[in-house]
Order: sequence, then C-alpha cells, then structure tokens
Amino acid sequence: MQKKTVIPVICLGVVAVLCTAFAIFMLIRPVPAAAHDPDLPTLILYEGPQTMDTSQSARIWVEGHELFVYDVMVNHEHIWNSNTIPSRTPMAYFDFEGELLIEIEVPGLAQGINEAKILPSAHGIVPRVENNRVSFTVSEPGFYTVVYNDHVHLATHIFANPLETDVPDRDDPDVIFIDPGHWTLDAIVLNSGQTLYISGGAVVNSIVVVDGAQDVTIRGRGIICGADRPAWNQPGSYARVPIDIRSSRNITAEGIILINGNAWKFNSFNSDGLFASNIKIISGRQNGDGFTFQSCRNHHVADSFVRTWDDSLVIKNYAGSSRDITFERVQIWTDLAQSMEIGYETNRGLTINPTISNITFRDIHVLYANHKPIISIHNSDDAEIFNILWENITVDNAFMRGDHGVNNELIEFNMIKTHWSTVRDEWGSIRDITIDGLTVHRTLDGSVPMSNFWGANENHTLENVTLRNIYINGNRVTTLRELRAHVNDYAFNITIE
Amino acid sequence: MNNKNYIIIFSVITVLSLAISAVALLTRRGEEPTVNLTVVQAPAQTEAEWPPTIFNPLSLIIALPDTPNLALERPVTASSFTDIYVPANAVDGSATSYWESHGFPAEFTIELDGTHNVSTVAVALNPSLLWEARSQAFEILVSSDGNSFTSIVANEMHAFDPTTGNTVRVDFAPVQARYVRLVFTVNSAVRTMGAQAAEIMVFGS
Repeated sequence: MQKKTVIPVICLGVVAVLCTAFAIFMLIRPVPAAAHDPDLPTLILYEGPQTMDTSQSARIWVEGHELFVYDVMVNHEHIWNSNTIPSRTPMAYFDFEGELLIEIEVPGLAQGINEAKILPSAHGIVPRVENNRVSFTVSEPGFYTVVYNDHVHLATHIFANPLETDVPDRDDPDVIFIDPGHWTLDAIVLNSGQTLYISGGAVVNSIVVVDGAQDVTIRGRGIICGADRPAWNQPGSYARVPIDIRSSRNITAEGIILINGNAWKFNSFNSDGLFASNIKIISGRQNGDGFTFQSCRNHHVADSFVRTWDDSLVIKNYAGSSRDITFERVQIWTDLAQSMEIGYETNRGLTINPTISNITFRDIHVLYANHKPIISIHNSDDAEIFNILWENITVDNAFMRGDHGVNNELIEFNMIKTHWSTVRDEWGSIRDITIDGLTVHRTLDGSVPMSNFWGANENHTLENVTLRNIYINGNRVTTLRELRAHVNDYAFNITIE
Repeated sequence: MNNKNYIIIFSVITVLSLAISAVALLTRRGEEPTVNLTVVQAPAQTEAEWPPTIFNPLSLIIALPDTPNLALERPVTASSFTDIYVPANAVDGSATSYWESHGFPAEFTIELDGTHNVSTVAVALNPSLLWEARSQAFEILVSSDGNSFTSIVANEMHAFDPTTGNTVRVDFAPVQARYVRLVFTVNSAVRTMGAQAAEIMVFGS
C-alpha cells in the first residue's frame, strides 16, 4: 500500500471508531438529572411508610411516576348498623403546580374498566379509558374522585394538593414537627401558640387535642389514621377523635388527611374562631361524622373533602348557641345520614334561649348522598334557628335510600321530638331559610325525591323559606308540587322562585 | 484487503453509527424529565414508632422496685367510690382503669397475702397525655391486724405529671405490714369527685 493512499483510509477508520463510540454513548447515556425547569410542572410525591404496602386494588401514576396508594375505610352499608364492617377504597395524594397526566389501573375490578367518570362533574373532565387504564390531566389543585363502570366499588380518591408554602421551622420551640414515616402515640396535646406540622408521607396513629387553648395551627400534608383502634362503640374501646377542639379560640387547620378513624372526625366544641382548609376526611366506621361543630362561633371551612359514614357537615348545640359558621367549596360524599345537617340536638346543654343562626353552605358539591336528606334542619329541642343559607349546591348522585321508606327526602326542615331530643316539652322555631341554587343531576329512580317542611305547632312554626333556582334531573322546579313538598299546617310562607 | 475494501467498511460503520446516534437521540428524548420531580422518601421502619421529634414521657417513667407488686389483685376496700371507678381498678394491673373516691378524706386499704417487710408504695395515674397534671396529698399507714394503723409517711402533696409518667414513688424505712392504707385528702384536678389512682402498688420483701 502506498503511503499517500493509506493516510485517508486511516483517517476514515478513526472517524468510524469515533462515530461508533458516539453511537454507544447515545444509547447508554444517563438521562440528565432534573434541574428545576421553570417551564415544566412541579410534582412532589410522598413514599408511603415502609410498614405499609401500597394498594393491590389500584395503581396510580402521575406523569409516569407511581404513587403510593392507601386502602382506606369506607362503607357501602347505607343503613345504621352498630356492628358494621367497613369496606376499603383507594386513596392517594401529591402536591403539584402546572398540568399533569394522571393514569390509573384498577386490578381490583375483576370486570375491568368499561367506563369511568371524574367527580365532581363540575371539573368537566372526560377521562380516556383504554386497555383498562384511565387517563386524564389536571391543572388545578383539588379533589378528583374516579368512579368506574358507574359503580362506587373502588371509587378512587385523588387529592391533588397545591404546593406548600411557609413550612414551619422545625427548630422553632413552638412547632411540633412530625417527619415522614409511620408514628404512634396516644395523643398530641397542643397548647396556646403551638403549631403541629405533619409532613407529607407521615401516617400518625394518634389524636390531636386542643383544649382551652388559642392561636393553634394544625397543618401539613400527612395523615392522621385511626386504624390501630376498634370502633369506638365496641367493647373496651372509646372514641378517639383525630381533631378534637374544645373551648378554644383562633384555630387554623390546613392540608392534612383524616382516615380510618374510630369515631367522629373533625370536632369543635364551644370554640370561637376556626379556619380549616384543604382538609380531607374519609370515614367508614360508626358515628364517623365529618366536620361536627357544637355550640361554636365564627367557624369557616373551605376547599375541603368529606366522605363519611354519618353526617358530613353538622351543627348542633351542646353548651350554648351556634352562629356565624360557613362551609364553602366543600366536596361531600355521604354514605350514611345527612350531608348538610343542622340538628338534631339543638339544646343538649339545656341553656336559656339557645339559637343557631347565620349559617352558610356555599358552593358545595355533593358527589353521592346515599342515605338521608342532603339539606336538613331537625330542631328536636327548643332552639330558635334562623338566617340559614344554602347557595349554589350541586348534587351529582342524589341516591337517598332512607330507612325502610322514610328519611329519604331531598330537603327536610322539621321540629319533631326524637331519641336525640333533650328538651321534650318545649319547641323552638325555624325561620328565614334560603336555598338559592340547588342542582341535582341524577336521582335514584329518575324521579323527584320528596321534601318536608314541617312546623311544630301554632306557636312554634317554620316560616319564611325561600327556594330559588332549583333544578332536578335537568328540569327547573317552580312549584312546591313539582318539588313533591309536604308542607304541614304550621309551616308558613314556603316559596319557590 | 485493498484500500477500497477498507473505505467501504469504514464508511458503512460511520453511516450506521450516525444513524444509530440519530435514532437514540430521537427515541430517548422521551425519557427526559417532564416534571420538576421531588420524591419525599420514607425512613427505614419495621413498625410504627413514637415520633423522635416528640418527647416520650415513657422514657421518664419512674423506675419501680423489681420485686413483685404485693398489692396486685389483692382484696381492697375504700371509703367511697364514684360511678364505675371502683376500688378494685387500683389493683388490677391496668393503668387505664382507675379508682376515684367520692369526696375527701378518702381511705384506700389493701390486704396483702400475709405480713411483709414493706418499703415502697407507688401510686400511678394513666400516663396518657390527655390527663392533665395534678397533685394529690396522701398519708401512708400500715397495720398488722386491719384495725390499728400506724402512720409511716405523713400526709403531703405529691405531683402527678403525665409528661413524666404520672407516677409517684414513696420509699420509707422497711416496716412489717399485712395491711397498707392510703388516706387521700387533696386532688388539685378540677374535673374529679375525689382521689384518683389507676394503680396503687406496694413493694417489699
């Protein structure tokens, strides 16, 4: 070979070697580690505790990253049973900002996924269902419930939190900081000025008690779980209320999840000043009421999710009067009892001149109501109840099955003595009630459910009830007859506009 | 092999390599992050634990003598009790059940299973943090016949604090006793009817 013809061949050989090496590098190169890119969405995932296994019923991915899925107690028995046995349904959560793809597979559904819905319907999300996989995108923080094959079995609750801001300083002596992991302790008692922070990824078997304190904050992304105890009414057990606020002032709660409790869930008694937001409650055991406020003032619950096996939102009088309480932008799923209830106990504390006033339920979306009335006032003691507003209430599935033919109303205002009554020989009154905007998308049998408007007697009446903008099964309801309303002789000025 | 063959081989290798590189570039682009991802990791655990960031009062529970509790499940009498809070609760070995008297003074007497050389009495309340701190005053007496009692520790206040285990231990010079009596005179807690004790324990030889 002549030297002048060899050099180009060697050069070409070197080029071939370099190109081969480059090709190998391109094949095996690591994908660049994520540096924060302001053009991309942000996603925070939380591993589940190593003591627990992710659900075998459902798998969930966000942008291809698999979530830890909790199997949480719910209950499909839509009638009271003191020894009821709860079912389980999948629940998962994450924090985000931007637009993200969520994908779900549900191996627990033996028949596969033929169809899926995202509730509440107000999200307006139509998911894609392909090869037993549901996919959809979310761009706003909120609560997304996926129902398969038009059935509640393994309905999947996804809590898409906003990113946290101003996380408390763990070194602050007034901060109780709980890290990710599985923790157990009998109680966390908070004193004035303290903040409890439960990190995302934490599961805490405990209860939080605020008694006679003020300026207390409970927040984070983690879970308070009561699965370690039997139901409160079982032998040897007692009620352990995950958030129990008593005779306290200026309380803030944000971001946490309450599951598997053995009694009622978020209790406030005789307290003044509460703001709760982004609280997620799911219950499936006896007396699993959601937000239950007794004789409280200036309470405000916003942007929260409540699925319960007893009243979802409930106001009672146990030690005095209740006033100035607002629920807004709350999603409700009621498996037992009422969705938004005032009563039955309206003077359990036997106080003089008890009242319940200035109560507002605004922008509430009921995913399912499976047992008793959705909107109700049961004044079974002697309180004066007035200035109550339901505004912009939407119900996706009004499936009130009632109790053997009773308690299956859509709306019920009455003053009947029951076994919950403490005052049995006196009556109060109900007046100045407004329902402005009630849309029911679907009822159990396609017909309009009944409603009751009953006063007690000629001196203790139900008066001035205004119903406005009522739509049921796509039809506007403009008369009491169309509403199938039962109005007794002691109910006056009940009008529909 | 002549130059022409080398040129063909190297050219083919070069073209193939470039083609593979291009395909890899296009196909692996999908593996690049689509989100700014943070995964909050769980600690290594095999069971639920007490959170290390919260003080554990169990760590401060007062050590008791490692001899048997002579009062456990022995016959007891009390001058009074409230509701379901019967005297036997104070010797049943459970810190969650308790005796509560109905007023003061409140006598609580334990009959041991014979005469012992007694040197320690301990009174425990439920160690739950739900129990607020309180103080109780009591005197300790002993007897050999159940009729004539001798005071061995004078009536004085004792602090019960759930953040330190809610238990009080009183040591004294060994004394022969078949009956041990505590006489409570004060309970600083506001929501009670009288004296309270989840366990009253007696130690000796």
